[in-house]
Amino acid sequence: MLEISELQRDYITEILNISMGSAASVLSEMVSEEVALSVPEVDFLPRSIAAGKFDQSNVSKMSGVTQSISGAVYGDALLMFPEEKTLSIVRILLGETVPVESLTEMEQEAMCEIGNIILNAVVSSIADILKKEIMSSLPRFIHGTGNEVFSVESGNNDDLVMFLKVDFGLESQSINGYVTLILNVDSLQGFIAQLDEQINAI
Amino acid sequence: MLSDINNMEREVIAEHVPLSASLFGKVLDFSENGLFLVDSDRKIILWNEWMVQASSLGREEVIGTAFVDVFPNLKGRRIESVINAALDTRTASLLSRSLNKAIFPLYLSEVGGEKRHLEQSVTVKPIQSNGHDYCLIQITDVTPMVQREDVLRVLAKEAGEALQVAEEASRFKSEFTSTVSHELRTPLTSIRGSLGLIVSGVMGELRPEMARLVGIAYNNTERLLFLINDILDISKIESGKMDFVMEPVDLKTLLLQSVEANQAYGEQYEVKYVLNDVDDGVTVYADTDRLMQVLNNLLSNAAKFSSKGAEVEINVIPKDAVIRVEVKDYGNGIPEKFQSRIFEKFSQADGSDTRKIGGTGLGLSISKSIIEQMGGAIGFDTVAGKGATFYIDICLFNDA
Repeated sequence: MLEISELQRDYITEILNISMGSAASVLSEMVSEEVALSVPEVDFLPRSIAAGKFDQSNVSKMSGVTQSISGAVYGDALLMFPEEKTLSIVRILLGETVPVESLTEMEQEAMCEIGNIILNAVVSSIADILKKEIMSSLPRFIHGTGNEVFSVESGNNDDLVMFLKVDFGLESQSINGYVTLILNVDSLQGFIAQLDEQINAI
Repeated sequence: MLSDINNMEREVIAEHVPLSASLFGKVLDFSENGLFLVDSDRKIILWNEWMVQASSLGREEVIGTAFVDVFPNLKGRRIESVINAALDTRTASLLSRSLNKAIFPLYLSEVGGEKRHLEQSVTVKPIQSNGHDYCLIQITDVTPMVQREDVLRVLAKEAGEALQVAEEASRFKSEFTSTVSHELRTPLTSIRGSLGLIVSGVMGELRPEMARLVGIAYNNTERLLFLINDILDISKIESGKMDFVMEPVDLKTLLLQSVEANQAYGEQYEVKYVLNDVDDGVTVYADTDRLMQVLNNLLSNAAKFSSKGAEVEINVIPKDAVIRVEVKDYGNGIPEKFQSRIFEKFSQADGSDTRKIGGTGLGLSISKSIIEQMGGAIGFDTVAGKGATFYIDICLFNDA
C-alpha cells in the first residue's frame, strides 16, 4: 500500500473537490435541480484490495460507468454504485420513467452521461496535478458483482489504484458511489513528485 | 460506431496510400449516423450526407463556417462546451437524449412531406492527426428507442392498473368468502349441537323413522361445517392471513396424538392405523396445530380410500435436513389422469366419489399450502390397484 502524507492527501482531495464542484454545477443545470458532489476519501490501494471492498459491502450487484484512459496514466476509470442506487439516481434525475426493475436503454445512456461528467472531472484533476495530458474514451455502462465489474479489463492484481469515495447529494438523500482509477507505477511516482512540487510552491 | 470508422480510416490509409478523398467521403456519406468534424478554429470541415438531409443545410453553407455561426442557438450550451473540451483537453463526452432534449435542430422527413423532430444521442470525441486537433461529433437517431420506451411506459402503467383492479377484486372475493363463512358457521354450530342432542337420545326416545331423518340432518350439518371450515382455511391461505406459530415439535408425540384422534374415524371404515418405529427425540420445526391438521387429512384420506379390514401404515424416514412422514394405504391407488390435479381445489378422482366417500375436495390443497408455507414439501407415489403413499417432508429443528 502506498503511504501518502496527510498534507498530500488533503491537497489531492481539495483539487478533486474543486472539479467535482464544477461537475455538480453542470449536472444541476442539466436537470434543473440541486446536485451536490464531493470526494470525502482518497486512498491508494492494490487493485485486489479495492475489488474486495465492494464485496464486503453486502452489495450483490454494482452498476456504473467505465472509460478507458490513456496518456500520462493508463487503464480504466470506473464509477460504481450499488445497482439499486444507480436506479434511484437516474430516476430522481430523469423524473418520470418506465417503472421496470432495471435501467432501460435510454436510462443506461443517461447514466453514462452522468458518469462521463464525473469521470472527466476526476481525470482532469489528475491531469492538472501531473501537468500532463490524459485522454479518455467514451463512457460505457457496466453491471455485475464487485469483482466482475472491477476486472472488466485485464490487469495485474498488484496494480495500484486510486480509490475515491464520491458523495452524490440529491434531493434529501446522499448516495455513496466509488471512483477507481488505475495508475501505473511510473505515473504514480511522477504524481507524488508533482504533488510535492505544487505543495511546496504554495 | 466511431471506433470502427477510425479503424477503417487506418486500414484505408495503410492499403491505399495516398488515401482517396472521394472514397473516404463516400464511406462517410453511407453512414447511418450524422457525422461532422470541427477543427481547432471551431470551424466545420466535414459534413456527411446524413447531416445534409437531417439539417437541410448543404455542404456549401457549412464547410469552413464556425460551428456557432451554423448553430447560433447553441452558443453557450453544453454541446459547445464539450466541443471546446475535446479540442482543448482531449476529453470525450456523451450527450444523452434523456438529459439533453433536442440537442441539434434536426428533422426527419416523414411520408407525406411532414417533418418531425429527431430524437438524438450525441458523442463528441477528440481526434489528432498530423499534429492538429479535431473534434468529431457523431449523432445517432434514437427516435425508435424513444418510441419503444413510450410504448413500454404506457403498457407498464396499464399493467399496473389492471393488477390493482385484479387485486382489489380478489381481496373483495376473499373478504366476502370469509365473512359469509363465518356468518354461516355460527348458526350451523348451534343446529349441529341441537341435532346432536336429539340424535344421542338425551331428549327422549325417537321413533325409528324420525331417528333416521334426524340422523341424516345431523350428518349433513356436520359435512357442511367441515366444508365451511375448509373454505375459511382456503380464503385465509389465499389472502395470506393464515398465521403460523413455528416452534420445535416432538414428532413422535404428535404422530401418536394424530393416530389416536383418527382411531374412531378409521373404525368407521374398518381400517387400522399402524405407526412403525419412530425414534424418540426427533424434533421438527413446525406449527403444531397446522401440522396436526395435515396429518389428520392424510390419515383420514388413507382410511377413506382403503378396503375394509386393511391397514394404513405410518413410517418416519430421516432424509438429510428434513424428515419424511409417509402415510401408506393399500387401496385402489390414484388413477393416472387424476394425478396431476390431485392438489388442486375441489378435486376428487371421481366427481361421484364425493357423495360416496365424503369430504370437500379441499383437504389436499390446504395441506399442500400449509406444508409449503412451513418450508416443507408434499407428494405421493402410487401403483394402480395396490395403493398410494402420501408423504410430507418437514424441516428438522436445528438447535444450533
